[in-house]
Formats: sequence, structure tokens, C-alpha cells
Amino acid sequence: MRNAFRGFVTSACERRSLARRRRADWVVAIAGPVIITAVLLPFGSFFALSSVLLFVLLAVIAAALIGGLRPALTAVAVGVLAGVFLHVRHYGGLRDPLGVDLAKILAFVFVGVAIAILVGELTRLAAEQGALRRVATLVARAAPPDEVFASVTAEIGLLIPADTTQIYRFERDRTASNIARWSKPGTDLPAAARWKLGGHNVTTLVARTGRPARIDNRADGTGEIGTEARAAGARTSVGAPIVVEGELWGVAVATSTGGRRFRGDTEARLAAFTALVALAIANAESRDELAASRARVLAAADEARRRIERDLHDGTQQRLTALALELRATEAAVPPDMTGIRTQLSRTAKGLAAAVDDLQEISRGIPPAILSKGGLGPAIKALARRSAIPVELELSSDTRLPERIEVGAYYVVSEALTNAVKHSGASVVYIRVDVDDLVAQISIRDDGVGGADPTRGSGLTGLQDRVESLGGTFEIANSVGHGTAILARIAMESGDNGRR
Amino acid sequence: MVVDDTGAKERAVRIAIADDDVLLREGLASLLARSGFDVVGQAGDAVALLTLVREREPELVIVDIRMPPTHSTEGLDAARSIREEHPAVGILVLSAHVEVEEAIELLAGGERIGYLLKSRVTDVGEFIDTVARIARGASIVDPSLIQELVAARRRNDPLALLTAREREVLALMAEGCSNAGIGRRLWVTDGTVEKHVKSILTKLQLPESPDDHRRVLAVIAFLEAR
Ligand SMILES: Nc1ncnc2c1ncn2[C@@H]1O[C@H](COP(=O)(O)OP(=O)(O)O)[C@@H](O)[C@H]1O
Ligand SMILES: [Mg+2]
Repeated sequence: MRNAFRGFVTSACERRSLARRRRADWVVAIAGPVIITAVLLPFGSFFALSSVLLFVLLAVIAAALIGGLRPALTAVAVGVLAGVFLHVRHYGGLRDPLGVDLAKILAFVFVGVAIAILVGELTRLAAEQGALRRVATLVARAAPPDEVFASVTAEIGLLIPADTTQIYRFERDRTASNIARWSKPGTDLPAAARWKLGGHNVTTLVARTGRPARIDNRADGTGEIGTEARAAGARTSVGAPIVVEGELWGVAVATSTGGRRFRGDTEARLAAFTALVALAIANAESRDELAASRARVLAAADEARRRIERDLHDGTQQRLTALALELRATEAAVPPDMTGIRTQLSRTAKGLAAAVDDLQEISRGIPPAILSKGGLGPAIKALARRSAIPVELELSSDTRLPERIEVGAYYVVSEALTNAVKHSGASVVYIRVDVDDLVAQISIRDDGVGGADPTRGSGLTGLQDRVESLGGTFEIANSVGHGTAILARIAMESGDNGRR
Repeated sequence: MVVDDTGAKERAVRIAIADDDVLLREGLASLLARSGFDVVGQAGDAVALLTLVREREPELVIVDIRMPPTHSTEGLDAARSIREEHPAVGILVLSAHVEVEEAIELLAGGERIGYLLKSRVTDVGEFIDTVARIARGASIVDPSLIQELVAARRRNDPLALLTAREREVLALMAEGCSNAGIGRRLWVTDGTVEKHVKSILTKLQLPESPDDHRRVLAVIAFLEAR
């Protein structure tokens, strides 16, 4: 949502600056030649017609640089009028040396048009490169796909230029979801989120062939998408496929409602952008996969710990206790006068009991059974009770959370509390757990010396990994002299990055 | 035969044992038999225990908290069922680690409840004494759990109002000792114990409880909520 908004802001700014440039190019194209001619007029005899036309070429170049081909051609036309005007003024009519002047004017037209085309093409290329560079920068800094989508639709729309651009994702059920759209102010195409594929329209054509498609006369558009687009006044549409790692993922469509057709190379220009979109999607997917695999590694480690704890309690501890009992039985069976043996047996039994207690210590830190049975509240209360520093506990509710979140939150509190006891010298630790429908927030704050530094140990880094693998955020707020605060926020649902 | 405080002879207490570890179960059974209890049956899981209780009508069951199938809290669930069906049967739950929530849940079910660390069974004399006290109606909670509750650090700790001696008395109250039992442990007279108890209840604003069981529950609930 936020990202889409940011995309909108960029495109709105660019739209304004574009409008300014449009006005400027026409001013230069029309006023430029006229002013140049007017200024040079008093020196009419000094400046021959050819010189004036040379000066007018400057206006043609300026118009081409600012506005591209059309304003430049307009400047050429105005220049021709100026030339004719000068000729008529000089000779009082279209007379004798007409042949020479006509040749000069024709040469001017030829050069002017060539300049207009070349410079116009150059500026168009430059604009395209600029747009591609901006999108590529977004992709390179791993911006969320939504942000890339918003930027791409706006850039394409301004560049081509189109009245509307949209990105659709093809779904498994033969529909296309509209996941990003941009439109020129005042234009509006139907904005349904999901369309059935089928009929004669660009989106369906791309879905069917996996290749770019174009429909120049929307009058013959059919199917759900075609009909709607026609109703909204669409004239001509071009679509280019988005292919993510060899698989057809979706399509980018540019539509114009005006009479003008898109240029023949529009498909190719769209494709340059859809390649970047595909890259952004592929990156996001591999990031998600990485996070998922980190989560799997953690889950496996957690499971291993749980198994060790089970084996300790149900196996080893149990066995040791039984052995100690047997020793006690033997002790009881030994005649009372054999005090030496009795004392020895008793000592061994006590030693076994101590070993059992040691085993108990080993399983400290592993989420206790009370976590899965009673939830975060009781489990954190137990941690707080065992803390060597007084704990002020605030639990917003005792609703149960998904197990992975409860386990994650438990580890956060457990490690942060251990750290406070070990490193902070605090007099009190505040633990707060706030849970609502969307997010669980866990904060642990102490009033100790501060200076928690993840690079100096493995505990905090481990927590960060754990929280991030749950799609959450992990912050350490540190100010020397004001203690340490740790804040973990874990969303109830982890988002999916525009994937199917 | 069990010899109680007054030295009078009683009929042997009938006990059923449930634990999935055969070795430990057998060990417990022979220890109890040696100490004058009547072990009427053994079970390897909660279902078998319930059948056993129905058929052999023991006066006390000793049950491991972790048993098949999931090795989590089957023992607690079995204890609840037994309480519902046979309220008079005493229950001693053994656990690898003790949790205050579980203690409170058990105690809330009524008197004749014990909740101990499993390793306590190797301290034979103490363990046999505990079993006998539960059979006679006491409710007993593992000292390590009480220690943890009493030792928990709090700001503005109400326990700070108590003297060191009173804190000792409070812990013994929570473990399930009667006034007489507390007196014997601390080598003081019943009168002195009573004075301490009164002072504790006043300072902590706890109501006076008509019996030891309710006293245990009240003190533990207080310590937990402190
Ligand atoms: N609450 C805290 N107060 C002050 N320093 C802290 C605190 N927590 C962590 N630190 C500092 O940050 C370092 C890294 O912590 P951690 O990653 O948990 O590793 P460890 O606890 O194993 O040293 C610690 O060594 C300690 O110097
Ligand atoms: Mg640490």
C-alpha cells in the first residue's frame, strides 16, 4: 500500500514536469523561428536568406531536444514560412531568382527534417534509458515488487506515451489479476482486480502465445477484458509478456484511448521493462525461499532440541532414577551391621540423584512444555520468576498464538532476559507483550549500562535470524547510560510478495 | 503397616502406580511394598490406570506426568479424570520438572494432592513420609517449586515485610506442612508456629484457611500472583 503510494507520487511529479516540457517545446517550435526572423529583419540586406534559415535551424534543434520530432517539424514548417516571407519582402513577390531561394529553402527543409528526426530519436532514447535506469536501480536495491510494479507502469505510460498501463498476473484458474496500474490524469479504465481470460484482447493473446501482442483497433475486442476496455474507450493496446525464470508469469499492457497508433517498436520497448519486472519478481521469490529455508533450518534445530530434551527426561533421567531406587533397595537389604557398605550405597544413590538434577539444568532454555500447553503468558512468567533481576511483566492478552510465533517470542524473551542479567547490571527489566489481530510485539527493556552489541556474541544475532525468519523485525535500541531495549514485531500472517 | 504420628497401627494403604518406565515402576512398587503399603496394581499409561482405579479401588495413585502416547501431560489429564470419577482417591503426580500452573490446577481439584519432582523418590525416607501424609489427607507441593516462588525477585515485594523466620514458615505452609509439621521441622513449639502463621497472614492480608489444603492453595496462588 505504502509502496504503491510512493510510486504514485513519483509519477505525479513526472507528469507535472512533462506537462511543462510539452508547453515549452511548442513555444520554442513556433515562437523561435518567428523571433529569429523578426530580430534579423532590420539587417535584411546584410543577412541573406540562407543565413536566416541557418539561425532558424537552432530553433529546430532546440524544439527537437525539448519536445522531440513533432515540435521540431513544426519549427521547420515555421522556418519555411519565415523564408517565404523574407523572399516576398525582398522581391515584393515570387519573382526572378526564385530558383535559387527555392533551392535554399528546400535544403533547409531537408537538413531541418534530418535534424528533427535524429535529435528527436536521441532524446527519446535518452528518456528511455533514464526510465530503464530508474527501474533497474529499484530492482538492484531489492525494492519490494509492488514498488517496482508501480514505477514500471508509470515509466512506460509516460515514455510511450500511453493513456493507461497495467500489469496483470496470470493465475492458475485462467484469470488475470490486475496488480498494478497507472493512467494519465483524466483517463480511467475499468479497475477490476481479476479478469477472466478469453476472447480477442491483448492480455489473453499474450497468455495464449507467451509472445508480445497488439490490437490496433479495439472495435473488434471481445471477451471479458476486451469488452470492458472497449466500453472504456480504449483504441489500441500493446502487451509484452513477463517471463520469470522461463515461466510465463504475467503481462504488461499499454493502452491508448486516442486515435494515434503506437509505434512499431512499442513491443520491444515494453519488453525491456518486463525483463526488469521479471528480475524483481525472481529476486523476491528467491529472497522468500531463502527466508523459508532459514526458517526450516531453525525449525529443525528446535525439533532436535525438543527431542534431546525428551530423550533426557523420558530416557536417561528415568533410567538414572530407577537405578538410584534399586540402590536404595539393595541398601535396605544389606544387614544393618554392615555400615560401610550401607554408607557407600547411600552415597552412590545420592550421587545419581545429583546427576539427575544436572540433566535438568541442561534442558534450561529449551521452551518448556508449559509453552505449548499454557501459551506465552505462563511460560514467560516462569522465566520472570527465575530471573535474578526483578521483572515487571505486562501481557496484553492471554490469547494463544500460532506455535512458531509463541516459540519465537519465547526465545526472544529468554535470551534478552539472560543478557540483561549477564551484562546490564540493571535494577529492573520491563517485559511487554502486546498482541492484536495483526502483530505480536515483544519488548524487553532494562535500566542498565546499555551497549548491547550483536557483533560481540551470537545470542542477539541468533534472535535477529529467528525473528526475521518469521517475517518479523528485530530492533536493538541502545543508549549508553539508559539501558537496552529490544523490540521484536512479528506479523500473524507473513506477507507474500506478489507470488501466485 | 504404616505408623502414623500418634503411633497407632493402621491397615496398609492401597496404592496404584502408573509410569511408562517398567524399571522405575517396579522400583517404586518394591520400595512402597517394603515400606508397608499395599501396591494393588501397576499401569503403563493413563488408560490402563483409569481401568485399574475402577477395578482395584486404590486409596492413592502415583502417576507420572509424561506417559504415552504423546509424553506431554497425560498424567495431569488422568489425575483430572480420577478426581471426577473417584473424588476420594489421593493423587501424587510425579514430574521431571515442576510448573506452578500445573500445581495450582491440581490443587484446585481438591485435597489429597501431591505434586513432586520425580527425583524425590530416591530420597526414600522423605518420599515414604510424603506418600503417607497424602494418604491421610494432606496436600503437598515440591519444595523446589516453592523455593522458586519465594525466591522470585520482585520490586515492592510484599514478602519484604516478613522476617527471615516467617519466610521459612511461609515456604513450609506452601509445601503442605501442618502447623505441627512446621514445628517439628523448625524445632519450635506449635504455639510459636501459630504465632508466626498469624503474623504472616496479617502482613500479607491472606484469609485464614479452615484446612491445610486450602492454605496451600491460597499461599501458592499468592506467591504466583505476587
Ligand atoms: N542488556 C544488555 N545490557 C548491556 N550489554 C548487553 C546487553 N545485552 C547484550 N549486551 C552486550 O552485547 C553483547 C552481545 O550479546 P549476545 O549476542 O547476546 O552475546 P552473549 O550474551 O553471548 O555475549 C554481549 O556480550 C554484551 O556485551
Ligand atoms: Mg546473550
